[in-house]
Amino acid sequence: MTPAALPRTRALATVALLGLLTACGGQNPESDSAALSQSDTRRSALAATGATRTEAFRLLNQASFGANASTLSRIQSVGTAKWIDEQLAMPAQDVHRTRWLAADAAIKKGDPKATAGNNEVISSIYERALFADDQLRQRVKLALSEIFVISLIEVSGTQAEMAASYYDMLGRNAFGNFRTLLQDVTMHPAMGKYLSHLRNQPADPVTGRQPDQNFAREVMQLFSIGLVQLNPDGTAKLSGGLPIPTYDQDDVAGIASTFTGFSWYGPDTSKPRFFGGDPAYADPNRYGTPMQGYPQYHAITPKVFLGTQVPAQKVADPDASVKIAVDTLFKHANVGPFIGRQLIQRLVTSDPSPAYVQRVANKFANNGNGVRGDMKAVLRAVLNDKEARRAGVASGERYGKVREPILRVTAWLRAFNATSDSGKVLIAPTSDAATELNQTPLSSPSVFNFYRPGYIPAGGEADAARMTLPEMQITNETSIAGYANYMMGVVQRGIGPRGEDNLGERPDMQPNYTAETALAEDPPALVTQVFDKLLPSSPSATLRNEVLAAVQAHTMPPKRPDDSNALARDNAKARRVQTAILLTLVSPEFIVQK
Amino acid sequence: MLSRRELLRHGGAVAGLGLGLTAMNRASAVGAGDYKALVCIFLYGGNDHYNTVLATDEASWSAYSAERGDVVGGIALAPPGTQAKGSGSLHQRLGGVLPITPATPQAGRSFALHPSIASLQTLFNRQRLAIVANVGNLLGPTVKSDYDNSTAMRPSKLGSHNDQQSVWQSGGAEGTTRGWGGHFMDGQIGANTQSMFSAISVNGNAVWLPGKQTRAYQLAPSGPVRVGLDDGTVYGSAEVLRRMRGIMTTTRDNRLIEREHAAVSQRSYAAVDVLGGIYPGVTAGPWGSRSDPLTDPLLQYRDPATKADLYNPLAHQLQAVARTMAVRGTLGMGRQVFFVGLGGWDTHDTMQDRHAPLLAQLAHAMQYFDDTLGAMGLDDSVTTFTMSEFGRALTSNGDGCDHGWGSHHFVMGGAVKGGDIYGRFPTYSGTDGQGHFLSDDLLDSGQLLPAQSADQYAATLGSWLGVADSELDLILPNLSRWGSKRNLGFV
Repeated sequence: MTPAALPRTRALATVALLGLLTACGGQNPESDSAALSQSDTRRSALAATGATRTEAFRLLNQASFGANASTLSRIQSVGTAKWIDEQLAMPAQDVHRTRWLAADAAIKKGDPKATAGNNEVISSIYERALFADDQLRQRVKLALSEIFVISLIEVSGTQAEMAASYYDMLGRNAFGNFRTLLQDVTMHPAMGKYLSHLRNQPADPVTGRQPDQNFAREVMQLFSIGLVQLNPDGTAKLSGGLPIPTYDQDDVAGIASTFTGFSWYGPDTSKPRFFGGDPAYADPNRYGTPMQGYPQYHAITPKVFLGTQVPAQKVADPDASVKIAVDTLFKHANVGPFIGRQLIQRLVTSDPSPAYVQRVANKFANNGNGVRGDMKAVLRAVLNDKEARRAGVASGERYGKVREPILRVTAWLRAFNATSDSGKVLIAPTSDAATELNQTPLSSPSVFNFYRPGYIPAGGEADAARMTLPEMQITNETSIAGYANYMMGVVQRGIGPRGEDNLGERPDMQPNYTAETALAEDPPALVTQVFDKLLPSSPSATLRNEVLAAVQAHTMPPKRPDDSNALARDNAKARRVQTAILLTLVSPEFIVQK
Repeated sequence: MLSRRELLRHGGAVAGLGLGLTAMNRASAVGAGDYKALVCIFLYGGNDHYNTVLATDEASWSAYSAERGDVVGGIALAPPGTQAKGSGSLHQRLGGVLPITPATPQAGRSFALHPSIASLQTLFNRQRLAIVANVGNLLGPTVKSDYDNSTAMRPSKLGSHNDQQSVWQSGGAEGTTRGWGGHFMDGQIGANTQSMFSAISVNGNAVWLPGKQTRAYQLAPSGPVRVGLDDGTVYGSAEVLRRMRGIMTTTRDNRLIEREHAAVSQRSYAAVDVLGGIYPGVTAGPWGSRSDPLTDPLLQYRDPATKADLYNPLAHQLQAVARTMAVRGTLGMGRQVFFVGLGGWDTHDTMQDRHAPLLAQLAHAMQYFDDTLGAMGLDDSVTTFTMSEFGRALTSNGDGCDHGWGSHHFVMGGAVKGGDIYGRFPTYSGTDGQGHFLSDDLLDSGQLLPAQSADQYAATLGSWLGVADSELDLILPNLSRWGSKRNLGFV
């Protein structure tokens, strides 16, 4: 992990100093379409002012898995834009597949027939989320996994190795170019399995077989252009008052032919390798390597879609066909607003203004240096924008998002410097709504993710205002109670299985409440400490009083000279600390990210 | 007949003692001769109707086999009477499809059901189950030439899972916030004292349930979830729970998203205030025989491949529905709509292995529910029906099939005029050699052009529930295009 945090008093002094400076110097620059060098100059002029603690915290809520002392300190020191640049400069590291393979090898030492599975993937996702220095890349990986969805529910067991590899792939592409991302998603065997274009074959007039249309449809509907033509600001174009579809069933059938003839990677393109199932034709790296084209199983008739076509091929050329398909999707005017709006939703706010979407879409179309699809430019546009950074905007009536449950848990674990007893960061699936979080990383119930970008909760103000609030799709009377009870348990005991055999003394991930416990006999100070760790700024006096009253409901027996009631006092301290933390974690102030 | 006050006293006392609720059931049954409920079972992914309800006459079967291959490597099932094999592909091991004879003959056609839904064959034969054929989202009566020659009669976003799920449930694409289940209840909600429980989901947020006044309430398969321990404490303190509730259910920042979230929290607590003390236990009625639902044989289906008895999540959801219905008297409910569901039906691939277990779960759950309702004296009061975003294509892609449109659905209950197929069963045919099917019911790829609309399906159910014709016309604006066929007559 990064260097230890500044001692508290020094940190406060630094913050005060920076606060004075920023009060004079203004906010960080909003994103504009000027060349990078110009914004560099502006940024360095403001760099000396850094950022306030609140500004740093807000950015970390958007661009990391949760604020902690070291990241807060860094952003306060260098400012939000510079920190984003630092994060964007950190190189990708493939860790998930290698970690999975190591875990699998260790398991096979004990039992050659046993295998690693889904839980190892989930653990490695959490490990990076909680402990990686490249927090922004990790956060963007999660966001991309909720757009380019595959799920451990289907890509499971021994094939979870593919899901691990897929998550690595998202990581490699998070700060690259969208064209490459779309290509890599298309060719990854996990996606081939999940949306069934692995082993997809051309039409056969004899049997009547048609190419599988699953991936063909979803690559358009979900991964690139969406269902209706969009303006650059993300609103739907209208013709005669009605939206204009981007594709029809003929386009689906046409592009489906493109995705034929792809199957497992290997040293040859033989029939048994294409169909799989024969261990003699199973390359050991096939789960971690892009699918390859098998010309004999690729459709060579013309493939017509989206106003273009792959011409008839005398010699089947699967890669050439896919190139045309992915190029066509990539160049479609919809991609910037379609993907841009979703990235804003994943990171910043659920119902962004059309103007914000347009600024991001513009950067997708042209990063300022004539390049389309530059993810770094897009992410800078999302995070540096005034609608992400300005406090005045963040306090708006309709601003913000309901934080997804995974991010609430990681925020708590990072705030309290949680460590793993086993070193393996064991956190199991938490998908049950009534007793858990109603969400598990990389484990969406379908390719439509846990929640839709266009979801509007029924019957209330959001409905009347037609505001999209995706995370409310997994929020209901059951899940809210389930979350509260689940956090009640983990705040007290820690989270995760009790060791690899689940027979240990306590859950694997243990938060560190030492500093809070030291304040347990001073409830106001305890509450302040907990609020500071979990919230970007001091909440209302009303919330403070509520939490304080709850903390004080646990009476603290006075210390006896012979310490004979030490245990009772320790228990009371623990309950006070847990109470302060739990009540903050279930508050709208914490759950709603502003 | 017990007064409501006496019923409430009964409910509280009985729940507290954990005794059976037979006394209350009897009392409720007397007062609830008026009670009616609709239960929607949503099959997420698009159920392949071609392998669920089959046409087995020679012409139909020959067209079916031409597209679907054989039982070994393709996705076709075995014809009626075929012996189940001991080994081979799953379709070989399942044996032949199960013949059914509808009360109304259909022009020399014969029919059967998938081998894994024998209990639905039994319900059909006992006239407790009806089949509604070739039903789908339509703007109005549509013939093939309409569809081929113009886009005017083509519903938008066909083939899109999330949008078609929304259209079936609400008439509108994703982003719609009110469904016909909720709209039905808007007019019926006066029959309910505790109106909060008018529209209940046990399967996540579903647009079918909310209406103008009607709000959806989410129940877990295990019942309502109480925050804190059963003794009313958090971390050993009742005061902490009180403060926690206040923090969760009110806002201090008072902005929209906070208010949205707090409102759901408020409903969560309020529901438990009402239900918590009266909700019958898992073994307090005919719905459960073990305190752990995960091991209760009543909630297990037989996996058609492995023959193992496995937990059925759909049956567990229906158990929660039954338990909720058991306290309808205490809650003062006259009309309710419930939503349950099962995912996994999008069988683009590995269809043989995936479809049969899902159908087995559906069939077992429906039989379990029918048995339970019968034991509760709710035989005639509850109508259960399936929906899915679309059917699938007749053509195979090798080991599965792609999205379709029209589909066949099941309706079950004592009030249902079962043992029959409602609507003209589609004609199967071959193609013209250029990929176009000859039948007027089949589009390219073998998707069914629906002959009956989801609107008619909904209107028939709504009419039974007590929704007036004039209301139905408002809720289902295209209904009038069907003229006198607005009611399909199955219930």
